[in-house]
Amino acid sequence: MTEQHQDAAAAATDNTTHFGFKTIAAQEKVSMVANVFHSVAAKYDVMNDLMSLGIHRLWKRFTIDCSGVRPGQKVLDLAGGTGDLTALFSRRVGPTGQVILADINESMLNVGKDKLRDLGLVNNISYVQANAEALPFADNSFDIITIAFGLRNVTDKDAALRSMYRVLKPGGRLLVLEFSKPTEDWLSKVYDLYSFKLLPAMGQLVANDRESYQYLAESIRMHPDQETLKQMMDNAGFSQTSYHNLTGGIVALHRGYKF
Amino acid sequence: MQSLLLPALLPQLLLTIAEPVLNKIISLDPDAAVRLQKLQGRQLAVELTDVKLRLVFTAQANGIWLDQHQEKVDCAVITNLQSLRELKDPSQLTRLIRENALDIEGDLQQLQQFNQFFARLNPDWAEHLSGYIGDAAAHKVALLFRQCQQLLQARLTQSEQLLTELAQDELQLSPHPSELQQFSQQVHQLEARTEQLARQIASIKGN
Repeated sequence: MTEQHQDAAAAATDNTTHFGFKTIAAQEKVSMVANVFHSVAAKYDVMNDLMSLGIHRLWKRFTIDCSGVRPGQKVLDLAGGTGDLTALFSRRVGPTGQVILADINESMLNVGKDKLRDLGLVNNISYVQANAEALPFADNSFDIITIAFGLRNVTDKDAALRSMYRVLKPGGRLLVLEFSKPTEDWLSKVYDLYSFKLLPAMGQLVANDRESYQYLAESIRMHPDQETLKQMMDNAGFSQTSYHNLTGGIVALHRGYKF
Repeated sequence: MQSLLLPALLPQLLLTIAEPVLNKIISLDPDAAVRLQKLQGRQLAVELTDVKLRLVFTAQANGIWLDQHQEKVDCAVITNLQSLRELKDPSQLTRLIRENALDIEGDLQQLQQFNQFFARLNPDWAEHLSGYIGDAAAHKVALLFRQCQQLLQARLTQSEQLLTELAQDELQLSPHPSELQQFSQQVHQLEARTEQLARQIASIKGN
């Protein structure tokens, strides 16, 4: 476990948590994260394309490939934001399947809803405003659960993973796509420079919001690294957990099964 | 380093480009939707052993979606690029299987239905083009395109025929392997006799 993650674990025990590099009361995080996403929702897709040079689309496609989705399956796209993964899943599960786009943030959910309707994807998608830590679904409900770039914003990640495990069907799989730790030192340095200098400046320029993108960079650094997240998934009950580093570990896709 | 940036995601990049292109082509065929209904909910995997690529086609009423997973599908075809081209002709199926150039797992009928769907895909380019350049111009472009296509096809057929005739002529002129073997033996015999003669001449000169 890295020093930062030991800090995070310690914070969890005294009812505080991290909001980027700041330590705050655990109950404040939800509203603070909500404010960030209310602020960025309208420009979220543009900024994603700009920040990742469009590579986030390939990371999401890789997630779909690793999901092994089949027509007729029931999928939960958690912290689904503007619905990129939901769109990909919806086309694949078809009319006999179902995709639920869930997000804690109403603004993000509304942007996602509008975007998916504009794409003509209406028949097999439902929208739910939900907190990942206490999912409002029955046990053993989903064949696949994905959470892309959302877990790091959750206050109690262990509770969220346990909640996902509960609603997953036996034989189902969870896919966590999230920023992680670059595997090469030189890439880490370049990435730090990019995240802390360029990213907030881009946020200011495009979305007129420097602080939210400063938070994004900080929250990425505070998120558990590949091995720690894998261990957390194991602890939540998932089996055969594994991860793929993408783009040199800038992003990692974790996968775990419920048996 | 190899998997550092894009190379690891190259298949995803290709699929991101190929999928909308394929679905655009399908949408330009007015009859495709009806044929697609028959395939709805079916998955076909094509595994190309020579390029190490497994492509999964998922058919839905609104298009065909491309993925790259290893999960069980309705029908999986394991072959190479060359044999895949030959699969256009269903009569080659048995021969390819017998030659171990093709392996099929699952429902063969699904393969035939997907094959038929792609073979009968006939996008109405002119209709689509007319939205941009008008009916008359689109008709002329489409006509020109069809003429070029026919011309190219005719030239290709002509070239193939010429090549076949040349090969057949060459076959008539070429010696049979047994003839070549016999000729080779005769050359060896001649060589031996020449050497013998040279030795005899040398011995006469020495005397």
